[in-house]
Amino acid sequence: MRALVGICLLAIGALVPGAAAAQETEALRKELEQMRKQFETMKDGYEKAINQLSDRLKTLESRPAAPAAAPAAVPATASREQTLSQAQPGITINPMELARPREPYALFERRGPGQLLFDIGIVSDFVGNFTQRNVDKANAGTFPGRENRFFPREVEVNLFGRIDPWAEGVVRFEFAEEFEDGQRATEAALAEAYLTLLTLPFGTQLRLGQMPVRFGLLSHLHREALPQIDPPNVLTRFLGEEQFRETGVELAWVAPLPVFLEGIVGVFNGDNETSFGRGKLSRPLVTGHLRTFFELGDFGAIQLGASVANGDTEERKRNTLLGFDAKYRYKPEGWQHSLLTLLGEAIFQNRRVNVLGEDTDGDGVQDTPDETRIRERWGWYVGAELQPFRSGWLSRLAGGFRYDWTEFPTQRGHEWSAGPYLAFSPSEFLRFRLGYKHTERDKRDGFTDNESSARKVDEILFQATFFLGAHPAHPF
Amino acid sequence: MRILAGLLSTSLLALGLWAAGGEAAAKIRVVTTTTDLKALTEAVGGDLIEVDALARGSQNAHDLEVRPSLMAKVRRADLLVTNGLDLDQWAEIVVRGANNPNVLFGAPGRVDASAGIMVLEVPNTRVDRSMGDVHPFGNPHYTADPGMAPVVTTNILEGLVRVAPQHRAAFERNRQEFLARLAQAMTRWSAALAPFKGAKVVVDHNMWPYFLTRFGLVQVGTIEERPGIPATPGHLAKLVASMKENKIRVILAVPWGDYKLSEWVAQETGAKAVLVASAVGAVKGADSYLDTIDYNVRTVAQALK
Repeated sequence: MRALVGICLLAIGALVPGAAAAQETEALRKELEQMRKQFETMKDGYEKAINQLSDRLKTLESRPAAPAAAPAAVPATASREQTLSQAQPGITINPMELARPREPYALFERRGPGQLLFDIGIVSDFVGNFTQRNVDKANAGTFPGRENRFFPREVEVNLFGRIDPWAEGVVRFEFAEEFEDGQRATEAALAEAYLTLLTLPFGTQLRLGQMPVRFGLLSHLHREALPQIDPPNVLTRFLGEEQFRETGVELAWVAPLPVFLEGIVGVFNGDNETSFGRGKLSRPLVTGHLRTFFELGDFGAIQLGASVANGDTEERKRNTLLGFDAKYRYKPEGWQHSLLTLLGEAIFQNRRVNVLGEDTDGDGVQDTPDETRIRERWGWYVGAELQPFRSGWLSRLAGGFRYDWTEFPTQRGHEWSAGPYLAFSPSEFLRFRLGYKHTERDKRDGFTDNESSARKVDEILFQATFFLGAHPAHPF
Repeated sequence: MRILAGLLSTSLLALGLWAAGGEAAAKIRVVTTTTDLKALTEAVGGDLIEVDALARGSQNAHDLEVRPSLMAKVRRADLLVTNGLDLDQWAEIVVRGANNPNVLFGAPGRVDASAGIMVLEVPNTRVDRSMGDVHPFGNPHYTADPGMAPVVTTNILEGLVRVAPQHRAAFERNRQEFLARLAQAMTRWSAALAPFKGAKVVVDHNMWPYFLTRFGLVQVGTIEERPGIPATPGHLAKLVASMKENKIRVILAVPWGDYKLSEWVAQETGAKAVLVASAVGAVKGADSYLDTIDYNVRTVAQALK
C-alpha cells in the first residue's frame, strides 16, 4: 500500500506541472529525482522491517504450539469471527484482538477502521486532609463533612468532539463523594453538556446547554485544573463549593485586533447554590466577561479580566457580583514550563437580603418590620507558583503559596487563610500535591455542627490526579 | 454607568471597523504552528503573503503554552498551516479560542502539511502512555529533512490557492524557484555528509530520524529514555556503556533540551555534544529554512570529523 502511495506521489510529481513551461522541466526533473531518492530510502527501510518481521515469525513458528483455548470458547469466537467477516467482506477479524481489553486512551488513539468520531478522556482527582478533632466534629474544614478523609473529589468522564462541520459538543459526567444532610455518599451527575456553534459570523461563537460560566479566573475551571489543591475561600463563599455551572446560552466574541480582546455575555437559569438560586428564565442570571492579554517582552505575559453576574437569589432578591482578575507568567527562553506564575482575583457583591423584624423589648411582639437590606461584601486572593528548575526530574517540581481574605456573603464577619504547597508531576498525565492551610475566622457562628466549633483551622491537604486518554491542553 | 458602557461599545465598534478595513487591503494572512512551516510558506507565498508562526524556533513545539496572543493571531488568519501527526495538537485549543471559522479543521483555510509524507516510526503495535509521549501517527519531525520540502510545499501551495486562487501562477513560480535552490543545496549537503555514511549518533530527543535517514546516518540511542520523560540513572548508565562499546562520537542536542545532561554523557563517553537547530530560528545562524539545514549539516559534519 505504501509502495503504491509512493508510486502515486512519483506519478503526481511527474504529471502535474509537466506540460507547463519549458524552463520548468529541469526543476521538475530534479524534484522527481529527489522524490525517487526519498522513495528508495523508505523502501530500504520497509524491506529491513519486513525481513526482521519474517525472522521473528520464523522464530515464533519454530517454538512449540501454545495450549489450546477452552473448548467451549472456540465455536463461539469462531462464529463471531465468521459473522463479522461475512458482514464486512475482505476484513479478517482476529478473535484475540476482539478479546483484548481496551482502555479509553487506546480507543482515542486508534484511528483505523471503526474509529471513534469523538474523543474520550477520564480525569480522576482524589483529595484528602488531616485536621484537628474539633474541626472534624464541626464539619468546618476545607472539605466540610469529609475532614480527615481521602476521597474522590471529582472523577470525570469527558466526551468531546465535532458534531458536524458547524458545531462541536462536550458531555461530562462526574462522580464525586458529597456530604449532604449529615451523610456522605458517592454521587453521579451530568456535570456539563453543551454544544458550541463554531461558524457564526463576525468572530462569534455560541454555547448552548449546561456549561461552566466564564466568570473570573478560576470559577469555570474543573477542580483538577485549579492551580492549588482547593479553590480560594472567596470563590467557595460567593459561588459555592461546586464549579460555577449553569444552564443557558453564552455568546463569545473575539475582536479582530492584533491584541487579544474577548467579550462574553451569557443568559442562564440561575441555579447557583449560593448566589443565584431562583432558577427561572423569566428572571435570568445574566453574565458578562471581558478578557485581554499582553505579551511583556519575549518571555512574560499578563492576562487581565473583568466579570459581572446579575440575577436573583433563591429568596427572589437581586444580587450582583463584580469580579476582577489578573494572571502573569514568566517563561524564560528554552524553558518548557513557566518559571513564575502570579495570579489574583477580587469579587465584590451587592446583594439584597430579607431581614426579619425583631422583638427589641422582649415582649414577644415584633417591634421592627421585616425589611430588605443591601449586603455589600467582598473578598480576594493572591497566589504565586515557582517551578525553578529548567530540565530533568527536578523540573517536574513546583512550589507555591496562596493568601485569601473574604467576607461572608450574607452574614457579618470574615475569614482569611494562607498556605504553601508543593506539586510533583512525573508526567503530563499524573500529578501529586501536598499543602498546608491555616484558616482563621473572626467568629464561630456558622461553623458549629455537632456541638463543636472551629474558629481556627489547620489542615494538611494532599491530592493525587491522573488523566486517561484525551486531555486537551489548558489555556493560559 | 450608561455613558461608560456607551463609550466602551463605540470604541470596540470603531476598533472592529478599523481592523476589518485594514484586512481588506492587506496581504494574505497566514499563520503556521512552527517556524519551519513559516519559512516554507514564505518560500511559496513570497510577497503576496504575511506569515506569523505561533511557536518560536527555540521552543518545544510539542508542548506550547496556549496564550491568548496566539488566538489573536489566528483570529485574523486566512490560512493556518499545521504540522500535523500530533506534534501541534495544542493548535486546536488556539483555533477554538480564536473564533475564526475559516481555519477550523476541515475548512478551506486549514492545511495539514503532513499530508502525503512518508511517515517514519509509525507504531505497528498497540501504543499507550507507558511508552511516554509517544506519537501514535508516527514521528512528526519530517521538516528536519529537506527532502520532504517538495511534498510540504505542495500542501502549502494547495492551501494558498484555495484562499487566493488568483495568485496560483505566482505561488507555483515561487515554489519552483525555491525547490531549485533547495536542489542545489541538497547536492552540497549530500556531499558534505557522504564521507560519514553509516556513522552512528545519539540524540537527546528523538526528532532526527528523517534527517539522519536522508543523509545515511544511524541513530543508536536517545538520552530521553522515553519521549517527553527525563532520563533515569539506570538508563543513562546503559547508554554510557553502549556508547563506549560502539564508540559513538556525537550527541545531537536541541536548544530546549537538557544540554547539560548531553554534555555530561559526552564527557563520560568521550563524545561531543553539539547543539543542532530543531527549527528555523532555534539557534543563531538558522534564519531561513536553507540556512537551518545548512547549519545542521555543517555542525554534524564538523562533529563527525
